[in-house]
Amino acid sequence: MPRRKLSEYRSKKLVNDVLGLAYEGWSVTSPEEAAEIKGHDRYVVKVDQAVKGRFKKGLVLLDVEQAGLSLAVEKLEERGYSSFLVEPQVVHEQSSERYFAMTHDRAGIHVSCSEKGGINIEQDADSIKNYTVSDATDWSELAERTGFTQESLRALVQLFKDDFFVFLEINPYIASGDNVAILDCAIEVDDAAAYFVNGWNETDIRNPRMAAKREEEEEVKRLDANSPASFNLSVLNPDGSVFLLLSGGGASVVIADEVHNLGLGKELANYGEYSGNPNTEETFLYTSQVMKLMLASKAKNKVLFVGGAVANFTDIANTFAGIIQALDVYGDELAKQGVKIYVRRGGPRQEIGLAKIEASLKEHGLFGGVYSPKTSIPEALHTALKGLK
Amino acid sequence: MIIDDLRTKDMKVICLGSHPGIIQSILDYDFLVKKQQPSIIAIVAGGRKQERYFWGESEVVIPVVSKLENLPEELRTRCAAVLNVQSARRVLSSTKQAIELLPNLRLAAVFAEQTPEIHSIELAKLAKERGLLAIGPSSVGLLLPGFAKLGAIGGTQHLQLSEAGILNDGDTAVVSTSGGIVNELIHTVTGAGLGVSFGLAVGGDRFPMTTPAEAMLLAESDATTKRIVFFGELGGTDEYEIAKLIKEKKLTKEIIAYIAGTVAELFETPPQFGHAKALAQTHDESASAKKQALKDAGVVVCETFADVAGVLKERVNGKREVTKATIGSRQKSLIISHVSGDVSGDVHILGKELLRTVEENSIASMTLSMLLGKPVTSPKAIEFTDYVLRLLVDHGPYVSGAVNTIVSARAGKDLVSSLASGLLTIGPRFGGAINAASGNWLEGATSGKSPREFVEAYGGIIPGIGHKKYRIDLPDPRVKALLEFAGNSNGDTYLTFARGVEKVTTSKKGNLILNVDGAIAAVLLDILESEMGYSRDELKELVEIEFFNALFVLARSVGFTAHYLDQRRHDEGLLRLSPNEIRYIGE
Repeated sequence: MPRRKLSEYRSKKLVNDVLGLAYEGWSVTSPEEAAEIKGHDRYVVKVDQAVKGRFKKGLVLLDVEQAGLSLAVEKLEERGYSSFLVEPQVVHEQSSERYFAMTHDRAGIHVSCSEKGGINIEQDADSIKNYTVSDATDWSELAERTGFTQESLRALVQLFKDDFFVFLEINPYIASGDNVAILDCAIEVDDAAAYFVNGWNETDIRNPRMAAKREEEEEVKRLDANSPASFNLSVLNPDGSVFLLLSGGGASVVIADEVHNLGLGKELANYGEYSGNPNTEETFLYTSQVMKLMLASKAKNKVLFVGGAVANFTDIANTFAGIIQALDVYGDELAKQGVKIYVRRGGPRQEIGLAKIEASLKEHGLFGGVYSPKTSIPEALHTALKGLK
Repeated sequence: MIIDDLRTKDMKVICLGSHPGIIQSILDYDFLVKKQQPSIIAIVAGGRKQERYFWGESEVVIPVVSKLENLPEELRTRCAAVLNVQSARRVLSSTKQAIELLPNLRLAAVFAEQTPEIHSIELAKLAKERGLLAIGPSSVGLLLPGFAKLGAIGGTQHLQLSEAGILNDGDTAVVSTSGGIVNELIHTVTGAGLGVSFGLAVGGDRFPMTTPAEAMLLAESDATTKRIVFFGELGGTDEYEIAKLIKEKKLTKEIIAYIAGTVAELFETPPQFGHAKALAQTHDESASAKKQALKDAGVVVCETFADVAGVLKERVNGKREVTKATIGSRQKSLIISHVSGDVSGDVHILGKELLRTVEENSIASMTLSMLLGKPVTSPKAIEFTDYVLRLLVDHGPYVSGAVNTIVSARAGKDLVSSLASGLLTIGPRFGGAINAASGNWLEGATSGKSPREFVEAYGGIIPGIGHKKYRIDLPDPRVKALLEFAGNSNGDTYLTFARGVEKVTTSKKGNLILNVDGAIAAVLLDILESEMGYSRDELKELVEIEFFNALFVLARSVGFTAHYLDQRRHDEGLLRLSPNEIRYIGE
């Protein structure tokens, strides 16, 4: 999905490189890799997976000796993480910490800066000065405000453009005369531009969700990466009772909202959707993941809602054929658990798709209800969830 | 830009990229609203020259070009809208090019998801400078009931279209960030008993080229529109823009809104929902904050999707007249032919019944007409064809093709096999030079290069140049005869160029003269262009499909057949080479 975070390692490397500063850090994924690192007395080992509040969560280990690197990574690994950053522990000369950030919108690139950087920058919001980069930008003023040279500032703006950043934050950093050091920095990129950039690639992207993903989610990610159609799946409550098999970016949110409106938000087991006219095989694979999750849930009364708006071009007969294939595999087990399935969908070849899925649901003893667009999404959903309230 | 300017049945569309389902649905819509012709006049895509679609229950073809610049200027001038269904990585370059090359462009819709943000921003700027309405990316398009459907919006099956109540307009505009929901809302509006004034999917990206607020202003300035149904989502701050416009009294029409994504507030780290922008990073971007802002501004904010239909039903004032039209059953034919076919049981060739064609035409006239796929009336072209067919009929039993026919005939093979073995010999070194020469003369004469530059750049043997026996001081009498056909009414561009090349090559070596192949190519090109009005692109196409070799193949078939019959009449048995004709050089 378009706006995504780069790893701390890549962010620091890109920024230091463009500023002509040396950066020493190692991106590692295993204790063995960490054990290879040499040359310093003390190291910092941290999780590099876009997790917020790492210090509080104990995901940053300080004062690690060379001999302890492998163990440090192992410890963090045990907590379910898989990407780590190792840096030499450096004591910086005491100097005031600064803040620098860039964002963009229709008006162009905006720069914010403050001489009161650090984690509490938001409390010092008044100290932040904002600029919009244009032909009229007074680079010398900006240089004075930020402590970066004019060349450095131009280089940062160029980097922002060339590598399709949408957000860059250097906070804090030290800049007094020649003494410039980037203490922390974060970058978000427009991942739609992956094709156009050289500075980063997919391996540098970090997802903000917890490390330990379910196999079903990983499976859907792979499916999405290998198809022109789009798929996503997030498990919200593994033991929830409301399962969704949705189509369409808009309708899927509407349906999830309606579940929430009905007071069943906590029972919502998953969010996800397929769109862009996937073929039968792909829909089968996607549906299989949702059904596997469903079988694993410990909830007593489980309902699957297969839904979507009136599709413009997604072929209902073809996509439903994939769902029916999955019913043939998982249907009997689902029926043993007393699952009921409800369907509400419209679009190209809906008559065929709806008739076939109705027959299949009845055959497997899973039939809850099958509705065409004559029944509104909320009506169908209310009927489906009536028994759970 | 105002919506009413686009309410015309004449808006011609070029499709950048091909998406057969969407294109067919646009043609179906055109047919259902009783347009005389399909609105799509061309498709820009690789791989083929035309695509076939249903037009009602019948079929039409739409021309396909590989590059927009290859499209004839006349079509480019007529185009008022583009539908871009190319992949996201091409969105910027192809849309930019369309804006540059289409002087009367007023509307552009971009379908692809995953277009980089700054590309959308750049295109939006460009569109504003040009005063055109640009929609998307990741948009299913714009629907102007009764007039136009640009994109998948409204559905892609003719049954969906004819049953949705969208063949005539109404007073309710539908604006949505979601493609599926725009269709759902269109159905909700017509289902409630109202009509749609226009439906617009702005797309689910963070920086749509037309923002929701701009879409509202389009509705505000549209006399047909009385109220707006709006679907928005968490993420982005578009709704605050709308609230601001209402407070400034720039938006006065009633807005009925549903903002999706309150469910996101359940999660500690909210998931990225289906659309690119659907991620709330700050409280302002949350669905509930935006709903509140709209409510405060006086928008009718629906808490559940069901309320939208309820509110709309309250706005119904009398029964709406719904235009009805349908498309019956239809079946795609396997092959399309422009040459011949049955018309009520009789064979027709090039538009006339076979016997009539036979009575009115010579073999040369019929041959040339059929090869070109249209009736030829130029007497000169027919006369030249007749001459060339005769001239190329045979060149003695020595040439490769004739030898192969003779070898096959003496091996006891039948007529068709022996003829085929001769024909299969025709290629780059034997008999194929007319087509190659045509390609060269066409390329050379239109490139602006001088014959000398052409020769220097060519390197290697130039097809159509050179002869074993004849030289500059001993001219080929056949070439002389062919050149009698020069002197065309609108000039001899290609012959002039070919003679220029000959002048350069003969200055190097006396036998590098313009030969029969080169002369036929040049004269024929000139006749086609000068006497028959063929454009350069059409000539290029004739070269690509090997039209110029067809004359050789046809004529020489007579020679090969004659050699076959001759060998069979005087059967000498199998032809076998003797050891002294082949030298073995072993190790």
